[in-house]
This record gives sequence, structure tokens and C-alpha cells, in this order.
Amino acid sequence: MTRRVKFSAAIAVAAAIAVTIAGCSSGSGGGGSSSAADSLPKVAEQKKLGANESTLNLIVWAGYAENGSNDPTVDWVTPFVKQTGCQVNAKTAGTSDEMVQLMRTGQYDGVSASGDATLRLIYGGDVAPVNTSLVPNYTTISDFLKLKAWNSAGGKMYGIPHGWGANLLMYNTTAVTTAPDSWSAVFDDSSTYAGKVTAYDSPIYIADAALYLKTKDPSLGISDPYSLTEKQLTAAVDVLKKQNANVGEYWSDYTKAVQAFESGTSVIGTTWQVIANLIASDGKVNVKTVVPKEGVTGWSDTWMIAAKAKHPNCMYQWMNWITSAKVNAQVAEWFGEAPAQTLACAETSDPAFCNSYHATDAAYAANIHYWTTPQTTCVDGSGKTNCTAYSEWTTKWQQIKG
Amino acid sequence: MSAYFATRPRTRLGLLLTPPLLWLVVAYLGSIVLLLLTAFWTVNGFTGRAEPAFQFGNLVAVVTDPLYRDVALRTLLVALSVTVIDAVVAFPMAFYMAKIASPRNRAFFLVAVTTPLWASYLAKAYAWRVLFEPNGPIDIVTGGHSPGYGLPATVVTLAYLWLPYMVIPLYAGFDRVPASLLEASADLGASTGRTVRSVVLPLVFPAIAAGSIFTFSLSFGDYIAVTIVGGKTQLLANLIYGQLVTANNQPLAAALSIVPLLAVILYLLAMRRTGALENV
Amino acid sequence: MSAVSTPQIELKGLRKTFGRVIAVDAVDLEIGDGEFFAMLGPSGSGKTTVLRMIAGFERPTSGSVILGGVDETEVPAFRRDVSTVFQDYALFPHMTVGQNVAYGLKVRGVGGAERTRRVGEALEMVRLGDLAARKPGELSGGQRQRVALARALVTRPRVLLLDEPLGALDLKLREQMQLELKAIQREVGITFLFVTHDQDEALTLCDRLAVFNAGRIEQVGPPSEVYEYPATRFVAGFVGSSNVIPAASAQAVVGRPGTFAIRPEKIRVLAAGATPSAGELGLTGTVDEVVYSGATTRIVVDAAGLQLSATVLNDEAPDDVAAASALRRGDPIAVAWHESALRPLEV
Repeated sequence: MTRRVKFSAAIAVAAAIAVTIAGCSSGSGGGGSSSAADSLPKVAEQKKLGANESTLNLIVWAGYAENGSNDPTVDWVTPFVKQTGCQVNAKTAGTSDEMVQLMRTGQYDGVSASGDATLRLIYGGDVAPVNTSLVPNYTTISDFLKLKAWNSAGGKMYGIPHGWGANLLMYNTTAVTTAPDSWSAVFDDSSTYAGKVTAYDSPIYIADAALYLKTKDPSLGISDPYSLTEKQLTAAVDVLKKQNANVGEYWSDYTKAVQAFESGTSVIGTTWQVIANLIASDGKVNVKTVVPKEGVTGWSDTWMIAAKAKHPNCMYQWMNWITSAKVNAQVAEWFGEAPAQTLACAETSDPAFCNSYHATDAAYAANIHYWTTPQTTCVDGSGKTNCTAYSEWTTKWQQIKG
Repeated sequence: MSAYFATRPRTRLGLLLTPPLLWLVVAYLGSIVLLLLTAFWTVNGFTGRAEPAFQFGNLVAVVTDPLYRDVALRTLLVALSVTVIDAVVAFPMAFYMAKIASPRNRAFFLVAVTTPLWASYLAKAYAWRVLFEPNGPIDIVTGGHSPGYGLPATVVTLAYLWLPYMVIPLYAGFDRVPASLLEASADLGASTGRTVRSVVLPLVFPAIAAGSIFTFSLSFGDYIAVTIVGGKTQLLANLIYGQLVTANNQPLAAALSIVPLLAVILYLLAMRRTGALENV
Repeated sequence: MSAVSTPQIELKGLRKTFGRVIAVDAVDLEIGDGEFFAMLGPSGSGKTTVLRMIAGFERPTSGSVILGGVDETEVPAFRRDVSTVFQDYALFPHMTVGQNVAYGLKVRGVGGAERTRRVGEALEMVRLGDLAARKPGELSGGQRQRVALARALVTRPRVLLLDEPLGALDLKLREQMQLELKAIQREVGITFLFVTHDQDEALTLCDRLAVFNAGRIEQVGPPSEVYEYPATRFVAGFVGSSNVIPAASAQAVVGRPGTFAIRPEKIRVLAAGATPSAGELGLTGTVDEVVYSGATTRIVVDAAGLQLSATVLNDEAPDDVAAASALRRGDPIAVAWHESALRPLEV
């Protein structure tokens, strides 16, 4: 008897909570429509700048908002605060997905989003289009970064490009004697280095396999590695499942990747230029990076402003500050990426920096397939709706790892 | 002030119990109920937002998808292996500390066993990463037969991380067994092995059970050690993390989290059946 | 005292130190087959340590433990044919009474029907046949004591060691258990070695006893011998009570040099001015204290600078007893004792 009473009380509590939650979330709209064009939320861009607020709340990649606390000589936040009066609170996020989640709390004014987060934020109504005329430094940003699929929608920029990099093929020159020129070294021929192959631990890495298949198996008809039909996705997943047998470990933390190559755990696999630089400066092992003939995937970061930013003027000031030549050069060197600002190349402490990162090499940049969030409405601009979405990629990625 | 409460014991009791009760009901049970509820929700495929609904798709996926089944079994295997290893390693350690070591050495060993708890989890896990690396210490000691990164390294690392949680209850358990019982057993003709089996083990079993609840549930929920020393291995909590953070599929993550929740509840029930929890 | 013909237990030069503390020092002892032997002494006198060395729980620092003619000094406890009844009984709390008693047989591989029969017999012997299914936690102190006894005896050891077995029981139960122990020892006929600090218990139960003090044996012998002829001042004081006549007073009181003991019940109280009989020594003095305790009355007398305690049996007619008890402090009085009642002590 008492047990039954308790049980129904529990049901009542649960029901009450459910009703409350349903009530809360139904108000925040969005609806369940499935077409990109229909569902681009109408968020107005700012017309002109007002007075600076006193605060700015940011979500950033590690190393994007240095205030001297990591290295006293690396500080571009303090001068910004002095100049604008905007006190900066920077929250570091570890992954694109975490950034999306944090932005949805509504507590932040802006974010340094990568291409695999941007569209989710745009179509989630979390960010506003940017009035580029209010950001003077935008004019000298590399043209090949403007109005791209991953940072614009409806013909409008949804942020200011910050920097970019490529996912390269890196190998230990002692263990890998014949220089590879194809991604097949880590896919179809990965058994040569069984147990010593590494790969990037994210569903977005499926695009690397798709890019490889684009050249290797034209009959699949892959045009864009982020716009995969069910059949194309299956083919890419099969490549990765075979690769898994020869993978020693996956990496997502770049310090782990450095350590894996230095210890000999990994001898070949996908990497970022910054990882190769760190290994080279440690000098424990010799590595080389190449751009395989199939091309490469990459990432391009964009500063975006929250749709309901509480401090929009400070955010506009920040977007202009971080893309100014000197600051952009500082960030790019600290983090290890190509600066988006063309004028930054004259400001780097290492004169060869922009060359090693191909910063102003439009042809190099054009060969990079930048991370973007796969959606059912294909992101290749074809307007087709038979593509596979990121959530499906995630499930497939888990199956690949088994 | 104190006189006011002294004359009103009910008021005092109420004030005393309200914060913990609120914590239990709202923060603890509330969050679990929420978790269970979202398992029935759906995700808007486009915006990625979780939306209230009532459907069983997520739970069906968890039960039927061979991936989830395989990973859940692997995780169970890891949790059980870690628990067994910890019990086997902690048993002689705790026995020595409680029954053989001098009081001064006992204090030293207690400190030595608990000190690693003060060190950062990541530091300890990365230390094992170095130990297991190719041509690393374990490779050298075993003459090139180090298992390398993978499931065995994960089990070893987790067993190391959670060992204090087994040693401490077991030490307390041994401490409660009078030395005269061990002497009585020997006196009646039992060899040391027989005494351990017939007298010591049954008496400290509740302590092993208490410790195993920690090692089992901590191992079942861990997803960090495996990313550091597990090579390409993934465990159940990695899938939950991936669904929650990477795929932003909160409902499926919630459905998946029911698995460890059930596993730990079943484990507790199994321990209760053995009568192990009565004296804890 | 008779020489022990077939010693079950033989201790030779047994010594045990814990750090700098000498617990047992040069103990030699022989205990015969079927003897009920007591080791008596105050706490810390080393008697329990000797017992534990015989059982095999402690290793002697030097010396040897010979059991049944075989040197078993290095033999571990579980291979020795002795059983112990522990002070705290040490019953296994997770086993029933029956399982506790069966344990020793089980580890020796005594199987099925025989085990059941012998467990039943052992429990019958201590009159606990109907409690076999209980757990130790459900028993009274006396019942636990009997279970411990049954458990120790069921394996039919050659020697039973008992470590203060009655210490935790109340007085009434202790007296009852003493009789039972005695009866059981007669029944099984094996050597019982018994550690106690209670001299009454030792005198009541044992055939022979050894008195321990500071890690050494002061005297060994049958109870009457130890009581009547205490060899040392310590024994005279610890076993029963004694009046000690120190060397300084000996010449005046006894008429010869030495230290002497005399039991209170050996001192006769005379009326003031009465003379001792032939063969008796006498003293005059005054009453210091009179303690009436039913069967006896204790009278403390100040005489010749000594305090002598005399126990008088109240076996006279009630009126006379009342008169004797009516003595007052300071009343003149005389005491007398037989020459042979004086025990010279080794000091």
C-alpha cells in the first residue's frame, strides 16, 4: 500500500517536471521545418556602432584570447581593454560542439567558431549577420575567406574570418622511408604501418576519407566531402573501418599528437602544421608534412556575434581588433595557423611565417576543403536534400571505432 | 538564539534537514528523472535542439544496435577486471597493513596508499601513458612484450587509479577481524591458505564488496583514461560523451546513460543479495 | 613432589623478549600426561606468553618447546597437536555453533557421518546439543565458553590450552564452569594447561601449578604443597595470604635468623595472659582490628612491632563467637602458633 502511494507520488513528480520542461521549451520556437532556405532565422544585423559597453563575454579556442597569464609577452587582451574599456571574460572551449552548447546558454557575446560549428549556430538562430562596414579591417581579409559556405548564409557574412589551417599528412621520416604523396598511405595501404597509424578523433574526419574516395573512386560521384549521400557515406565509412584495424590511436588533443609521434606510438597520420612545428622544435624525431595529391581538409575560424548579444558594440570592437594586422599576426604565430588578415604577414616576428603557412596563397587555400557541418540539405550549394547530417556522421564514427 | 531553538526541537530539526532533503530531491533525484525523461525525446535534425516527445526510438537503438551492445559488454568487462585486480592486489596490502605491520609502519602505509589521491587524475593517467609507450619502461622490463596502448593498458591504469578505494575499506575490514580468530583457525589445524579462505575472506567480504562498488562504478563511468592509454578503444562513457557533446544528441545520450545506471543498480542489488551491505 | 614420568609438555630454557622487554626468562617446566596444570601469576608475569609459545603463536627467542617428546619449537601452530580455548573464545562469527565445532575436523579431512557424530558428541558434552544452528552472536557468555571448549576438544588434541577461560564470566557462572571443566578433564583424560591470575581457581582446579612472577617460575607443585610450603615471599603473598616475619624481627619473634611466613589460619588467638601449649611459640600484643565475615573472623594483632593477621574459625556456640567478636581495638591479647607452621622463605 505504502509502496503504491510512493510510486504514484514519483509519477506525479515526474509528470510535473515534464510539463514544466515542455512549457519552457515550446516558447523558444524554432519549429521542426527541414529546409535550409525556409529556416534561416531572421536576425537583423547591426546598423551602426554605439558607445562601448563595459564588458565582453567570449567563447574562444585555447590561445585565441591571451592576456599574458600563459606567457607575459603574449598579450593582446590588455591593450584592447585599455583602448576600448571593454572588460574581457574569455571562456575556453575544447571542441566545436562545446562551443555550440555554450552559445546556446545565451550568456556570451561572441565566439571563435570553426566551420563545423558555424552553420549550426547560424541556422539555430544563435548568431547574427555581421555588418562588415562596421569592421574596417574586414576589407583587407584574404578574399578567398569571404562569403564562403561555412561563414555566410543568404549572401551575408555571419562573422569575420580569423585564421585557417590545413589537415596535413605527417610522417616520421625514419619509419616511413618512401615519401607518401597520397592519403592512401593511411587508408588502403595503412597496413604497411599497422598499429602506428593515427587519425583525428572526430566525426568530421569522415570527410578526409570522402576526399580520398573522390579521386580514387570517381564512380561514387563525390563532389564535396561534406555533402555525402547515404551510399557515399557508407563507402567512406568502409574505408575508415579498414583503417581502424591499423590505427594505433586517435588524437583530438594536439599535445597528445605531439607526444605520440615523439614516442614512436604513431609514425604516420593526419596532423596540423602547429603539431609538426612543435615536434621539429623538440627535435626528438624527424617528421615531414605533405599535401597529398587528393587535396586536404582544413579549418577556418570565424568570429561570430551572438544574436542576442548584451554587449554588441564591444563585440564589434573585438572583431576589428583581433583581425588588425599586428594582433592577427600575434595570434596566428602563437596558435600556429595562417592569419586571415593579409596585412598580418608584414607583422610576424618570423618573416617566413606566412610562407610556411601559405597564408596568402589563394591556390593553396582553394585546395583546402574547410570543415563545415554536414546537413541533410547538401552544403555543396546544389540544393539537394539527400545528404547525410552530422548526427548520422557521429553515429557512424562511433561504429568505425567499434 | 540557541534558547529559541532549544525550546523548539521541530523547528530545529526542520532547519537541519531541509538543505540535504532539497539537495537529494531537487539536485539528485530531479536530475536523474530529467535524464530518464529526455531519453524519450527527439532531436530536431536541423537545429540539433532536443525537443520533448514520447517515443522509444532511442531506447530501441540502445538495445538493438550491435555497437552499443559490444561497447557495453566491453565496458562491463573492464569494470569487472578492474574490480577483480584491485581486490586481488588490495587484499594482501590491506592484510599486511592491518595485521602484520607495526603501528608506525601502518600509518606510513596508510599515507602511502592515499597520497596518490591528492595527485591529479590526468597526471597519473599520463604517467601510465609514458610507461606503456613503445620502448617505454614496461616494454623494457617485459623484454619488448608490453601490451602497448589498448584495453589491457586501460584496465591497468584504471586499476591503479581506483586502488585506494579498495585498500581503505579492506584495511578497515581487516582491522575489525580479531587476531585471535586467525590464531584459532591455525590452532584447529588450518594452514594459512585455508584460514584465508574459510575465515578471513568471509569476514572481510563486506569490505571487499564496499570497495568493489567504488571500483566498479568508477570504472564503468570512466572515459578519460581510455582516451589517454586506450589506443583506439572506446568505452560506453565515450559513446555517451560523443552523443551528448559531439552529436549534440541529448536524448540518445540519455538513453545510453541508462545502461551504466542500470549496471550499477544491478551490481548494488547483487552485492545486497550476498548480504555484504548489511554491515557496511 | 613426584617426578613426571612421561611429559606431554617440556619447556627448556624458554625465553621470549619483545624489543627490550623480557616477557619470559629461562623457563623450565615438565607437564605430564593427563595432568590438569595451572600457570598462575599476576598479569604481565609471562604465563600467557608461555602458553602462546606452546600453542605456536609466538616463536621463542631461545629455548625449546618439546611436545610429546618431539622438539616442536619450529613447528607452525597448525601442525601442533594442541588446542586452545581463547580468552575471548575467538568463535568464528560467520559460522553457526555446529560449523564452529566442525571446523577443526573439516580442515583435517574428517568427513560426513563421522564429523556429524563427533560434533554432536562434543556439543552434548558441553550440554549445547540443541544450539548447533545458532550463531555465536546469539549466545550468552557461558554458552560461548562451552562452544569454545567443544571446538577445541572435538579434534582430540593431546593437550588443551586454556587462556583465562573463565575470566569473562560472572562469579556464579565461574564456579559452575570450574566444576564442569574438572569433570570434562576427567572424562577426556588429556593434559589441560590452564592460565589464570585467580589463585582460588588454580588451587581448586589443578593437580599441579606453577607460580609465575616477572617472567620466571617461582615455584611448581601440587596446590597443597604450594600453599602450605610457599618457597618464596612472592608465592607466600600471591597464593593465599601470609604473615611475613622479616629478617629484622626473626630473632626476636622466632628465635633464629631468616625470613618466615605463617598463614593466618595457623595462628591461634588466646586470651590475654594465657600461655602457649608445648611446642608452640607465643607473643603478646594488642588488638588492632576485628573483621567478622561469617564463617571466620579475622583479627589483626600488633605484637613485637609486627602486624599479624589471624583467622579464627567461628565453629563455637553463637554466644562465644559473639563474645570473641566483641574484642575492641587496644584490648590486650595473646597469639600462639606451632613451630612447624613457620615457613622459611627463600628471598
